[in-house]
Amino acid sequence: MSHQRYPSMDPVKEPHSVSLKVLRLSRPSLVAQHTLAAPSELQSTTGAAADDLVPASLAYRSNSGTNPDPFLLTPILNLPPSFGSAYVGETFSCTLCANQDIPPEPPATAQPAKAPSQKKSIRDVKIEAEMKTPGSASVQKLLLGPDSDESKSPTQETGAADAAGADGVDLESGQTLQKIVNFDLKEEGNHVLAVTVSYYEATETSGRTRTFRKLYQFVCKGSLIVRTKVGPLPYNNTTTTKKGSKQAEEEKQQQKQKRRWIMEAQLENCSEDAMQLERVVLNLETGLRYRDANWIVSESLRPVLHSGEVEQVCFVVEEDGKSAVVEDSDGRVVFGVLGIGWRTEMGNRGFLSTGKLGARNTR
Amino acid sequence: MFGWLASKRSATKGPLDDDEAPLRSPIVSQVSRALSPQVGRGSRTSSPFARSPIRSRSSTPLGTAPLGVRDFSHLLRPEIFHQLSPLSIPPPFRNTTKQPTPETPISELLAQGHFRAAAIASVQALTSSPVSATIAAAHPPVDPTDHARVFSLLYIRLACLCLIDSVPLAAQEAKALEDLNQVYYLDPMTGAHLMPWELRLLAIRLQTMGFGDPRRAIMSYYEMAREAHLQIAKAAKAHENSDIELWKRRLAELGVKVAGALIEMEDLPGAAAHMATLREHGQDGKLATAKALLWLHLGDVDGACRCVRDGKGGEVGEEVVLALADMANGHFEDGLKKWTELKAALDKKGIQDEMVGVNLAVCLLYLGRMQEGRQILEGLVDEGQSSRTLLFNLSTMYELCTDRAKALKARLADRVSNLEPSSHGWEKTNADFKL
Repeated sequence: MSHQRYPSMDPVKEPHSVSLKVLRLSRPSLVAQHTLAAPSELQSTTGAAADDLVPASLAYRSNSGTNPDPFLLTPILNLPPSFGSAYVGETFSCTLCANQDIPPEPPATAQPAKAPSQKKSIRDVKIEAEMKTPGSASVQKLLLGPDSDESKSPTQETGAADAAGADGVDLESGQTLQKIVNFDLKEEGNHVLAVTVSYYEATETSGRTRTFRKLYQFVCKGSLIVRTKVGPLPYNNTTTTKKGSKQAEEEKQQQKQKRRWIMEAQLENCSEDAMQLERVVLNLETGLRYRDANWIVSESLRPVLHSGEVEQVCFVVEEDGKSAVVEDSDGRVVFGVLGIGWRTEMGNRGFLSTGKLGARNTR
Repeated sequence: MFGWLASKRSATKGPLDDDEAPLRSPIVSQVSRALSPQVGRGSRTSSPFARSPIRSRSSTPLGTAPLGVRDFSHLLRPEIFHQLSPLSIPPPFRNTTKQPTPETPISELLAQGHFRAAAIASVQALTSSPVSATIAAAHPPVDPTDHARVFSLLYIRLACLCLIDSVPLAAQEAKALEDLNQVYYLDPMTGAHLMPWELRLLAIRLQTMGFGDPRRAIMSYYEMAREAHLQIAKAAKAHENSDIELWKRRLAELGVKVAGALIEMEDLPGAAAHMATLREHGQDGKLATAKALLWLHLGDVDGACRCVRDGKGGEVGEEVVLALADMANGHFEDGLKKWTELKAALDKKGIQDEMVGVNLAVCLLYLGRMQEGRQILEGLVDEGQSSRTLLFNLSTMYELCTDRAKALKARLADRVSNLEPSSHGWEKTNADFKL
């Protein structure tokens, strides 16, 4: 994420009393360790057992037995070391820190000639954030949350965010106002996160409001390519003939009126990271129902797609016979949308849904 | 399971299995094969560096060398080993009385966590290049035919490089060992490998990196597993129960190492499938926790929770995984609650666990409460904890809370340098403080 300070709107040429720092909050990662057996030199002097490990080769110190050594992964968490890549379908989370950052007073003896500088107090510090997406000309104002917790309902979050955003905070030396923004990435291309910090800088005799703005630019890349294909499915009589004659007859009757289609989709991971498909579902229009024909049915593990890999999924869509299906002006049956949810490292979530899918009228 | 990798080490099978006739012809032929590479190597050992009197013994004509004595001069060439620059060490660690003297014996250096000094001292002994007589006395030059000491020093060298975050250098230096399965590394009488087990394990990982072939590690671990199987059978025949335990433990460790190698190859489904075949060695739930961590790493939170459910991961192990699962699900409030409770429970029992404190602090940052997180991490440093992860996270928080993070990081380096050296390691690098 490159960033630049916006040409100052502030007429004052003095350095700002507040600094702004940001960190993208992707999920924290599990730290890896490579355990080493204690060298024999050490064993002979300390009486260590033959299978003892060098304590320094463990990821952390503990006597509670939580470290699954000699396994590679450990439960201790590292904060995100870098911005990483941003992908469509993910939620972009970022923490914004406005810090009271007036340099400490130099020792009084160093500048005896100069009049003692007035002590500044920093009041009413506010952070505002906006996102500029490639597709829209205007910017989108972002809600500033006190946290990035995803378990809260949106209303709760909005309420808390509003309260926090409206009131400024007074900051003592070294104190920080920390905010967190969340933004659902929906478009590929250049995004710009614009953060504005305003505060009131008061001395004993006077005061002024100061503002600065920083821009953070990042590129959002595509994560998943979805190709779909819909074909009519011929009626399957073998299943119904097995059943009792009367019931089968009834079902046959119903089936005759019901149209069925097979919908296939190829999901290609075009990101650089491995992803695990969590759920692939159809959100259908009224009058339709579907049967999943994928890993849940076969009771296999959720598919993992490495970069460039493709998973083929398949659904049987049919009329439910209760209400009429939606058809557009061309007589095309509108199915609805395909929703794909996935997880990446340490549970980072992604979700995409396609445009309206449908099939030609086959009646 | 091991059928596909049978061919290469078949030469050792005879000596290993047959104790009755150690001088049968296959062994004789093995010896002659084993000695032949040395002729080629002899020319390579001629280095411009001065030889010590002990080193010059390696020029003894091969024909008169006693059977079974192997000369490893070619592993002691000074050009194999890299110089370690002290510039990557923050000044507070360089300019302190806590730095060991050059005469400190290697075993003491290791016990005190002076791994950089131990890495340097081991090379002085290996290459017979001490800078003074007193140092020579502390780290006596190695006899190239004393394979036990040669390999012990090489292990210290490579392990210490890994411990001071110089794995790429270690990977380069490990290349000099070449094929770890070559006959020259086998005892001509017994066929046993002359290298200590731990050196072989480490060399495999480093060579995998050095040669850039990740699959190499997995194949090599399987070959060692085959050897472990043979040893278990042999020990069982001789009713050597402690040997059976030793080799079973090694076999279990190899299984875990294979999983680690697959993870490093980013074959996470492969690692998961492999781990499903492993059995818990002991009752501590370590393997269940390991499996859960793999699922979390992959992003499958449900899968992770399944691994530790019903006490499979041990009491603490289960709580740790569930707290991590909350964070992976983005439920940081729930995660915070779990970490806080776990910390309180462990504190009550007088158990210290750096991980719980660090994860609690990380969780706080995601909840917009970085200041509290920072205090917890600083508290851990005051308690004497100094893992890389702790320092990295604290340095990241310093970067977030001021424009003048460099001063805070330098002060942190100063504080950590004042901690008492111990086997947990003492000296840190600039990178540890993001300096």
